[in-house]
Amino acid sequence: MTDRSLAASLTRTDTSGRAIPRWHSHAYNRAELYRIAAAMGWLPRPARLGLARAVGRAARRLFPAECAVIRDTLDVMTGATGARLDALTVGVFRDFAMCFSDLVTTNRQPPARLSAHVSRARSTERLSELKGGMISLTAHVGNWEMAGRLLALRSARATHVVVAPEELQALERWVRRDGDGVRFVPRTAPTVSLQLVAALRRGEVVAVQGDRALGTRGDALVPFFGRPAPFPLGPFILARALRVPLAPAFCMMGPDYRYAVTMPEPLTVRAGGEEDALRAWVALLEETVRLHPTQWFNFFDIWNPLRD
Amino acid sequence: MQPQEILDAIKALLVERLKFDPTRAAAVTFDTALPKGIDESLGLDSLDFIELAMGIEERCGVMIDDQEDLAPHFKSVGALVDFISSRQIGT
Repeated sequence: MTDRSLAASLTRTDTSGRAIPRWHSHAYNRAELYRIAAAMGWLPRPARLGLARAVGRAARRLFPAECAVIRDTLDVMTGATGARLDALTVGVFRDFAMCFSDLVTTNRQPPARLSAHVSRARSTERLSELKGGMISLTAHVGNWEMAGRLLALRSARATHVVVAPEELQALERWVRRDGDGVRFVPRTAPTVSLQLVAALRRGEVVAVQGDRALGTRGDALVPFFGRPAPFPLGPFILARALRVPLAPAFCMMGPDYRYAVTMPEPLTVRAGGEEDALRAWVALLEETVRLHPTQWFNFFDIWNPLRD
Repeated sequence: MQPQEILDAIKALLVERLKFDPTRAAAVTFDTALPKGIDESLGLDSLDFIELAMGIEERCGVMIDDQEDLAPHFKSVGALVDFISSRQIGT
């Protein structure tokens, strides 16, 4: 990352004085932007997504620091240069704007209507084969929130989505909406893991994002596009302790603006095998991001999220 | 299990599962706070609470599957001993 002041502004310290990443802290993460995006909900989806694409393309000029990070990241991930790299960088803003628009409109539709926006659901039958508690593992790719809602619908079990605590209360109503079997669990205290233990014991689903290091002892360095990057080990420790499977899931937007939901083979974690399972997950993430480089919505230097 | 037995079981879990120094675990009392962020607590983080919960299930024979917020029961060693005791009476 070239803009060190950005990194400094996006980190803070926890109660022990240790720096922790603030993945969710961005200039665009403001209630008014959510409000505007939601207000466009009256538009037919094709028109709304067209507007989102235009806004996304223009937005990159408003966020030069994020633009620089994305460009550097795409450089590593794709090897693209020049005009190709420029196009991919714009593509991230374009695709983010569309998925962001869907987040606050399409995703809020009744569960039964969400399926109309799905072009393909690959291997989702695996969900019904998994009995008892399980951990749904996804990342900030495509429309991850829709993936969670669709899988909650199919699993017919309560789903507890672990999220970072928003610093601005005003954002809560836009970012999260409980209901339809989905409940959001902010990581506000260390005891939050007890809620997850209890939910898994009841045979319910815990959904976590596996692409954001927490800046704690629970992170581990794993090769990502050939360079070590910190990823959270917590989901794998939870899976090992509770003896539940981890079910990776991705929800990517296709050229027809419909979503393809994919569930790779579930991961199991043997005692002492947490880091191996994490590596397997990161390999899946890398494969997905390689196929859809403009749909990984990461605005940090993934390899050095704490650098200042 | 009597409260003192539960306290001893928690101390053993701190050493065996959470890898605490035995001297530090031995100094734990009913008043010792558990979560990090509290002065003079044991400083347990979310990963520690997973291990502690699993250890309690195995060693004390209680199932941690509550709908209610469990945080108050894991605020201090004394609160946790009370929680485990109440579960054992109920089973």
